[in-house]
Amino acid sequence: MQLSAEAIETPKTAQTAVRDIYLPPERKKISGGGVPHLSAKNFSIYYGEFEAVKKVNADILSKYVTAIIGPSGCGKSTFLRSINRMNDLITSCHTTGALLFDGEDVYGKFTDEVLLRKKIGMVFQKPNPFPKSIFDNIAYGPRLHGVKDRKTLDGIVETSLRKAALWDEVCDRLDKNALGLSGGQQQRLCVARTLAVEPEILLLDEPTSALDPKATAKIEDLIQELRGSYTIMIVTHNMQQASRVSDFTMFFYEGVLVEHAPTAQLFTKPKDRMTEDYITGRFS
Amino acid sequence: MNGDSPATAGRSSAFIVSARKRKLQKITRMAGESTLFLIAAVVAIIVLFIFYFVARDAVPFFQIRGFSEFFTKTDWYPADDPPRFGALAIIYGSLMVTAGSALIAVPMGVSAAICLSDVIPFSVRQYVKPIIEMLAAIPSVAFGFFALVILAPLLQNFGGPILMWTWWLIASPFLLLAVIVVSELLSTSIQDDSRRRVVQRILVAVFGLLSLLFLFFVGKHLQEIQILTGTNALNVSIILSFMALPTIVSVSEDALQAVGRDLREGSYALGATRAETIVKIILPAASSGILAAVILGIMRSLGETMVVWMASGNSSHVPEPWYNYLESVRTLTATIAGDMGEADQVTGSARFHVLFAMGLLLLVISFISNFISERIVVRQRKVLSGQ
Amino acid sequence: MNLGTRKLLDRSFTALGVGSIVIMGMMLLVVLMPILSNGITANVFRGTIEHRKLLYNEFRRGDHAELQRQIAESDAARRKAYAMMAAFEAEMKLMSEEKHAGYQEKYDQVKSAMKALLGPVPGEELPELTRFKYGQTRWSKAEERLHELLYEKQWDYSNPDVEAKEYDVSRAASFQGTSLVKLFPYVESNIDRMLLPEWTVYWGFITDSSIDSHMFGGIWPEIQGTIFLAVGAMLFAFPLGVIAAVYFTEYAREGFFNSLLRSANSTLAGVPSIVFGLFGLAFFINTLKVSESKSVLAGSLTLAIMILPTIIRSAEEAILSVPKTYREASLSLGSSKWNTIVTVILPAALPGILTGGVISLGRAAGETAPIIFTAAVSVGSAIGLADVFSSPTPALSWNIYNLASEHEAASEIRHVQYGMVLALVTIVLMLNLSAIILRARISKKLKG
Repeated sequence: MQLSAEAIETPKTAQTAVRDIYLPPERKKISGGGVPHLSAKNFSIYYGEFEAVKKVNADILSKYVTAIIGPSGCGKSTFLRSINRMNDLITSCHTTGALLFDGEDVYGKFTDEVLLRKKIGMVFQKPNPFPKSIFDNIAYGPRLHGVKDRKTLDGIVETSLRKAALWDEVCDRLDKNALGLSGGQQQRLCVARTLAVEPEILLLDEPTSALDPKATAKIEDLIQELRGSYTIMIVTHNMQQASRVSDFTMFFYEGVLVEHAPTAQLFTKPKDRMTEDYITGRFS
Repeated sequence: MNGDSPATAGRSSAFIVSARKRKLQKITRMAGESTLFLIAAVVAIIVLFIFYFVARDAVPFFQIRGFSEFFTKTDWYPADDPPRFGALAIIYGSLMVTAGSALIAVPMGVSAAICLSDVIPFSVRQYVKPIIEMLAAIPSVAFGFFALVILAPLLQNFGGPILMWTWWLIASPFLLLAVIVVSELLSTSIQDDSRRRVVQRILVAVFGLLSLLFLFFVGKHLQEIQILTGTNALNVSIILSFMALPTIVSVSEDALQAVGRDLREGSYALGATRAETIVKIILPAASSGILAAVILGIMRSLGETMVVWMASGNSSHVPEPWYNYLESVRTLTATIAGDMGEADQVTGSARFHVLFAMGLLLLVISFISNFISERIVVRQRKVLSGQ
Repeated sequence: MNLGTRKLLDRSFTALGVGSIVIMGMMLLVVLMPILSNGITANVFRGTIEHRKLLYNEFRRGDHAELQRQIAESDAARRKAYAMMAAFEAEMKLMSEEKHAGYQEKYDQVKSAMKALLGPVPGEELPELTRFKYGQTRWSKAEERLHELLYEKQWDYSNPDVEAKEYDVSRAASFQGTSLVKLFPYVESNIDRMLLPEWTVYWGFITDSSIDSHMFGGIWPEIQGTIFLAVGAMLFAFPLGVIAAVYFTEYAREGFFNSLLRSANSTLAGVPSIVFGLFGLAFFINTLKVSESKSVLAGSLTLAIMILPTIIRSAEEAILSVPKTYREASLSLGSSKWNTIVTVILPAALPGILTGGVISLGRAAGETAPIIFTAAVSVGSAIGLADVFSSPTPALSWNIYNLASEHEAASEIRHVQYGMVLALVTIVLMLNLSAIILRARISKKLKG
């Protein structure tokens, strides 16, 4: 099933639709990108009775970076975690509406959440390497999915670490425990670990909130490197970060997707009053 | 690059599986989970089996002999002809050593738990906890051996002096404290400061003298006591109390820790001392948890076999007078352990089944107290979490 | 109340708590010290020539030539004593009937005391029981026996108000005027040469079988039995407990069934240990007939049931303490739930699970009541691994009870009892110590 930007039906709340890809001059347009990779259609998430995310309609365009901002408790993390069904861990959590990934419903009857998560990788707030060696951390995913050959694994580990810009720092101590790395290195290791299973979408849940400014800069550089190869969604509470790294920004407030627009546009000419108040720091 | 080329079509369904496969997955998962459930349920099955098999061999006894003799008579002559199965003295013996051990273990255990949770700094606690764990780890037969070979001769040969010194050591600080507090309380009504101090000093002197005399005479009386046998209820109670202590300490400490910091801080902020905070605020809040700890500790004493078998003297009679801890007693557990050797050769007789009846009695008591303590803990958790 | 009194009360309160903890610590010392100091004497003691003879005869241990030399030396010293006895026997035959009868009884006492001290008199028929074939093997016991030879015990009943007191009467005095009177000073001054005591380290106490129901020899059958029972119990309980813990922590949903299962678990934890013994007898032996009568298998199964709740609880705690992030990370990489449990959660929880397992192992090794009816026998040799399904075994915990309370010569073999207690306590405390160290290392690791 193919969907292009034009073919998509107009969402009901008009302001959340991204119609044109408006990029500032320093950001290159990505060839082959810009196709709706994920589409939320009247998508709501409930914790028991409580509606944490309310009827979201949005298209996430492939190969671009989308940032999700909003005050804490606005449902941005919940939304992100629902994309690869991490919320399944919470028994009281359920959804309505549809969340389409390449046109197929993520919450459909025939979805295998294990295969889904292989396609949609996730990096968490706090770096969470396993208490194993660096090599075993990266190789964990590929091994799960049936790669046994040592040579192939070596290749995957090196490529993933290179992609995560970590190879030069750790190539001589791959057999050391990953918990011995610094926080920033651990987080890049987590990115590399996710890349090793070759996902299409990369979900980053406040990936720099536990890191110092230097490590944060490295992660941000890494996101720029990965832009164009993966569809990236990043939840952040830091608006500067959102404006630095993303092409599109979604602003959530109390579970509602208030505005969804190209980043350059949202931060300079917000359409919604609420967005303006938020980005100008009138509330947080 | 794999953009919107036909490759996407294959990709898009990568996480979609056929209905059949989905069904298969579901069945596999269900099968796996039910296997796990069945394994976990083994525990429940074991509990049911224990009740069933102990009761199955206990019922014939009551069928043959009825209930009243077992619970109301004190003559235990299972080997006589005709045999007599009055177990009241044995039940009483069990209760007696349990109560004795609780008398020692509860105050000690609760104060040690308070000390661990509220007084001792964390760095010291790390070294104290292993002591308690080691006390819990020492096998009961080693305690029994200690009671039989070391404590019993000591009590038998130096019983009087030991009792006297214990009395002095324990009673004198408490009495001293009581004298000071009582004199202070009696003199508070006097307004004038200097007069009050004088009165207070006189009161301390008078009460101090009186309590010294009291200490001395009781001590003298205790010293003259001759302990005829070292294997008696006192010996067993002392050892059992040390076996119950680790349980009481660790469970009460958990209960005390569950009382939040804010309650403590609230009390300190009002100018209360640590003791006042603990006694007036924390203990009431943790009381049900501590009660559960006490029940569990008591159960440990009641169910203990080796110590009582080796060091209680195994004489089945109610001591004279009933609170005389210096006489030998016999308990349910020791009777089961001791009589089975002779009884199991004649499987089927009342003599064999009566031991199962005793086991059933123990089992029922432990089940009930366990149930109660569990309810208590659940209720405390609910209260503390504000529901 | 004024502030001073309040502060005094506060301090006393603290003192009460600290005092309780100190008393607990002291109790631990008071129990462990005598066990340690007396238990050591089972291994390290002043052994006499009789001990060396015994080792050579029973186990073919020791230097034969040296032993022969020492035997010759001690025999030389003993011969004189036996000669004195023979001389007195001859003298007695010449005495009047009445006088003879009077001395006979006293002389019999002397003779049996000599036998107890030095072993059978040469030339007499060797007795059946090993304990009578040798003299005192331990110098400390030999000194007691010497005292019994030299002095007769009498009771003083003169004051009817207090318990009778015992006092010693010299035997030499009662043989005044006979030739035997020389025997006592001779034995007293030459006992060293007769028994040739030297410091001995007898490791065989741990590795040897017992001889003549623990009068001599070691405690290996008991140690082995304890290991068999405890390890056997773990083989059943550990996998079962860990799987149940996985179910409780990862799969169980809140509901009636699971609260029932949890209640069952804590009920099981509270069942008195002797009741497990009854159950083991009624279920495993009388109903399932896993073996004809007592066996290691039945005992292990009974112990397994007893330690199951502990294992489940500690494994649950260990699994719950695995950071949630590991689970999330693994799932987000496309791992299935079961895979995550096996490859991430269980390895991370393993040290904690092992800690609980090790403590349970110690508990299974130390527990007595459940094996009384299901596995333990008082006397027996070490059993082979193949016999665990059918034969009972001696075990440390049970044999401590048995030797201390039911052995016919319980007070003679205190050193063996202490040695056994020491062995058991060492096994159990070592296991617990390793658990404590293991846990300290985990908490260090979690801190980073």
